[in-house]
Amino acid sequence: MTVKLTEGAIEALTKGSEVTNPLLQILNIRYIEVGSGADRLRVMMSDGLHYMSSFLLATQLNSLYEENHLAPYCVCMLKKSFTNTLKDGRYKRVVVVLDLEVVRSAGEVGGKIGTPTPYVEGKSNCSTSFHLHYFLNGDSQNVFVLSERLGSAAQFPLNSVDSVCQWCLSLCLRWTVRVRVTNKSSIRTWSNSRGEGKLFSFETVDESGEIKVTAFNKEVDKFFPLLETGKVYYITRGKLKVANKQYSTLKNDYEMTLHSETSILPCTDDQGLPMVQCDFVPISQLEHRDKDAIIDVIGVCRSVEDVSRLTTKTSREVSKRDIHLMDSSAKMVTVTLWGEEAERFDGSCQPVVAVKGARVSDFRGRSLSALFSSTVMVNPDIPEAYRLRGWFDKEGYALAGQSLTEMRSRGGGANTCWKTLSDVTTEQLGQGDKADYYTCVATVLFCRKESCVYQACPMAHCQKKVVDQHNGLYRCEKCDKEFPNYKHRLILSANIADFGDNQWVTCFQETAEIILCHDAESLGRLKDTNEDAFDEVFHKANFTTHIFRNRVKLETYNEETRVKTTVMDVKPVNHREYSRRLISSIRKMAI
Amino acid sequence: MSVFESPKARINSSMLSQYISRPVCFVGRVEKVHPTGKLFTLSDGEGKFASVELNEPLDEELSGVLEVVGTVSNKGIIMASAYNILREDKGIPFDLELYNEALKVVHDFPQHYPFEIATSG
Repeated sequence: MTVKLTEGAIEALTKGSEVTNPLLQILNIRYIEVGSGADRLRVMMSDGLHYMSSFLLATQLNSLYEENHLAPYCVCMLKKSFTNTLKDGRYKRVVVVLDLEVVRSAGEVGGKIGTPTPYVEGKSNCSTSFHLHYFLNGDSQNVFVLSERLGSAAQFPLNSVDSVCQWCLSLCLRWTVRVRVTNKSSIRTWSNSRGEGKLFSFETVDESGEIKVTAFNKEVDKFFPLLETGKVYYITRGKLKVANKQYSTLKNDYEMTLHSETSILPCTDDQGLPMVQCDFVPISQLEHRDKDAIIDVIGVCRSVEDVSRLTTKTSREVSKRDIHLMDSSAKMVTVTLWGEEAERFDGSCQPVVAVKGARVSDFRGRSLSALFSSTVMVNPDIPEAYRLRGWFDKEGYALAGQSLTEMRSRGGGANTCWKTLSDVTTEQLGQGDKADYYTCVATVLFCRKESCVYQACPMAHCQKKVVDQHNGLYRCEKCDKEFPNYKHRLILSANIADFGDNQWVTCFQETAEIILCHDAESLGRLKDTNEDAFDEVFHKANFTTHIFRNRVKLETYNEETRVKTTVMDVKPVNHREYSRRLISSIRKMAI
Repeated sequence: MSVFESPKARINSSMLSQYISRPVCFVGRVEKVHPTGKLFTLSDGEGKFASVELNEPLDEELSGVLEVVGTVSNKGIIMASAYNILREDKGIPFDLELYNEALKVVHDFPQHYPFEIATSG
């Protein structure tokens, strides 16, 4: 006697509607291994009209299966169940059965009742039995899921049935995304022992995030001509897999692969889609980022250098250009552009420049380099660019800006970091982890003439002080040799001052020679032969004013940590430039 | 002469009318010299002109940038007591436009540039 199943129950249960004691037939039942001892049973059930395999039995019902009461073709009455909606509403629901009663045994029924068809929410009608193989990982924390049919595998934490279902369905259900292409690579070919092929990849964004898409072989021919950077497309039925972070810096755990069933259609509606997804780091924060980190940056390009050509290690010629960006943190950084991008770059009109995926370098303090994978955008159509433009035109243009990239000091310009000696104290320069560099105009007040000249090793490039052996020979510990002679070198300790403060500084050979207007050799000889003339040199240096480029850093010596200042460069004051700077500062202060 | 004993405001052509009968110092470029040699015209950093009158005729060729000390007459002419040629062949060439900018700063912020000394008695 065939029992009547409750037709429509599958649909109702899946939708989460109340169904009282429906009669359903079990078509298939198998274990999912989700943990030591806690095996769960997954059941494919039919109401005669439809069948659905997303039924899970509560573990207290396992004994029914173990005692052979539940077998394919038996009919059960669902007495208590609840429907669990998976995280993404687009996907199916799982019905968890808490209580059921076998109404007809498998033997009594003998076969499938009716001709049920698979029930799937939504328009698509594909079967949802994936024949998943589950393996418990050695660490018993995760389950490894493999689907030969879907040609994919992934690892999930235990009890994450939702994720497994989501993953399966993402692999085969017909979903469509609307994205904008932000970056398109060129076609790359490979040839190895396993064969050859070609691929290209492109990066996309939508309102929720970004994802990388790759196409291989036939799909390259199909889609490469169609896609254009900046345009919007509908992509349907791409394949998802866990992202290979080695090849992509996008923020997504997954990446997409196009295959024979993928379709891409141009879309004219770009409402709500951003032009690009960037996570900009303020330039002032770059000091805290590690070398080789990949970051996004945006700033106003205040100045550019000329294009220069370099020959790489592989004897290839490449163009390079440095541009200087400043953002609203009032700090500046140098970004190096390469190749065509460097040649094409037009820095006139001080455009807003955004770089996505630039690499942080510790070359010259902190600098950035555009990589092959970076995207350089000039005046991009994004809110941050407009905000930056507004800030710059209103106040940014007047700021001198301190650059994180150590640059060769030129007489002036927006790149030099001018400070007064009182600024050094108030801004606590040199007290961070790194050395600080600044330029100032200051007057020499005093030079220590004792121990400013010393006897150094005569070897070229060795500056070590030699020890007088008192036998006509001088020993250099560093070169581990003795010499009959030495060369004179200078280390000058001087006190410089401006209107606000004074500062003890150390000048090495080159800068000391400039301040004293004497080379080390002649000064050394003067010290031994003519003390008055020697003193005179120091008197003459007093009250001379120069432009000092100083390096200030915390140094520890004999357990004492002090801020020490070294003069990197000394230049004569350019009065016109200095005057202009002062007038400009006065006018700015007056605002 | 009292001009040398009192503070002299540095002015440009636009300020002449405000300094009538007062001692001033005017720096400008020689434009034209009158044939009599007792009158010449200077242009300031803004390109505006001022006339300078001397007691004695000039005994040398005038060119380049000049610094003139004198009193402004009620006709706006600088009655010069002395002049000083800022020689172009020595030192850094004089930047008249920059000088004018500095001059404007001095006049815009008199509280920071108190050059007037109160003379007692």
